[in-house]
Amino acid sequence: MKKTSLKIGGVILSYILKIIMIIFLIISIWKLHWIWIFGCILALIVSFIPTILKRNYQITLPLILDILITIALILHVGGGLLGAYGISHYDTLTHFVSSFLIAFIAFVIIYILDEYWDGLKMDKYAMAFVVIITTIAIGVIWEFNEWITDIIFGTQEQWGYNDTIKDLFIDMVAGIIMAFIGVTMIKRGSFDELTEDLGEQIDKKIIKKRMRKNNGQD
Amino acid sequence: MGRIRIICKKRCFSFSFLLRIVMIISLILAIWKRDWVWVVGTFIGLFISILPSILKKDVKFTLPWVLDFLIALVTILHMGGRLLDFYYTIENYHLITRFFISLLVAFIGLAMIYILDEHWDGLRMDKYAMAFVTVIFTMAVGVILEFVKWINVTGTYYIKTNTVLMLNLSLDTIAGIFIAIIGVSLIKSGKFEIMTDEFGNQIDRIVIDQLEKRTKEKK
Repeated sequence: MKKTSLKIGGVILSYILKIIMIIFLIISIWKLHWIWIFGCILALIVSFIPTILKRNYQITLPLILDILITIALILHVGGGLLGAYGISHYDTLTHFVSSFLIAFIAFVIIYILDEYWDGLKMDKYAMAFVVIITTIAIGVIWEFNEWITDIIFGTQEQWGYNDTIKDLFIDMVAGIIMAFIGVTMIKRGSFDELTEDLGEQIDKKIIKKRMRKNNGQD
Repeated sequence: MGRIRIICKKRCFSFSFLLRIVMIISLILAIWKRDWVWVVGTFIGLFISILPSILKKDVKFTLPWVLDFLIALVTILHMGGRLLDFYYTIENYHLITRFFISLLVAFIGLAMIYILDEHWDGLRMDKYAMAFVTVIFTMAVGVILEFVKWINVTGTYYIKTNTVLMLNLSLDTIAGIFIAIIGVSLIKSGKFEIMTDEFGNQIDRIVIDQLEKRTKEKK
């Protein structure tokens, strides 16, 4: 009963966040900010990916992932559109949310691979370690992206040495927090519940593909 | 053991030994120059490079020879940079040193994962997954190294610019990919197992000994 009401609450929150995104789109059209009109449309498409995956491909992403993706997009688009990046530490907040999202996705992928792939069997603490280093490594790739963009297009994505170090530090902190949460959830068994649907759906798809291949060979 | 392997092992050992002699000379030079910071630095470097031999004698450890060689080489490069000012006189010397440090880190990472995969029940990993973890491990350790530089507890002078930071991180990534590619081909050919087998078995033995001791004590 409690789980069902939590799920309903999550779905409502997910839709409220999407409505906020639509409001952002209306504001950017009203202000004629073309870059953010494009940004809002793109963000809306990305935020609807979980719904599209569920409807067209029968793949159910964990609801929390849906909410995290939408929050990260709202913070970024809202920051640019409403000038919130000028608020001190707003950039730190958005960076943290994005890194936390990456860490969460990494944990889900590792957990599903561990449960449904023969090529990986991992202790939960080893999983936590891999999640932390994955989040740091993706943070580095993100910094590479900004650095190369600055070199090629002459933009100022990277604000300097201290800022890059700060970003990398936030990535690490987000990875560590997610690792702690993940291990606690695995111990309680709630991570299994969270990813069960997705894992089984992927499993079914792989089995279906193998069967088709085998039938084709016969 | 094949003949070529024995010759290679002997040569690499003697090369590693030669590197240590150079390090002792560096230590004497540092004392002669009364550069006490680098006396300590060279001493630590020398200690790290002979650590495998110390472990071998006392705890019956045998580290893979590549690791032994890389530790000696990296320490020499770093001490050379500090003591002979190569960091300032030779252009991009710090990048060369950084690359070899990253190679060492990547090799340690891969060896650790491989040994854990072979000798610990808590990890079973496909070789390509191992390669992936090696790359991200090297990148993550590179970031930690940059944090240490940023905090600068020792008060050592480091070049702190965004470009150098990004170049260092790029070199970590390249070194990680390099070792991952070599590692996968070594695993495929079975050579990586030969390289780390002795070390892994020794860890196994130590763990088993400890468990047996505990069981006896309980009884």
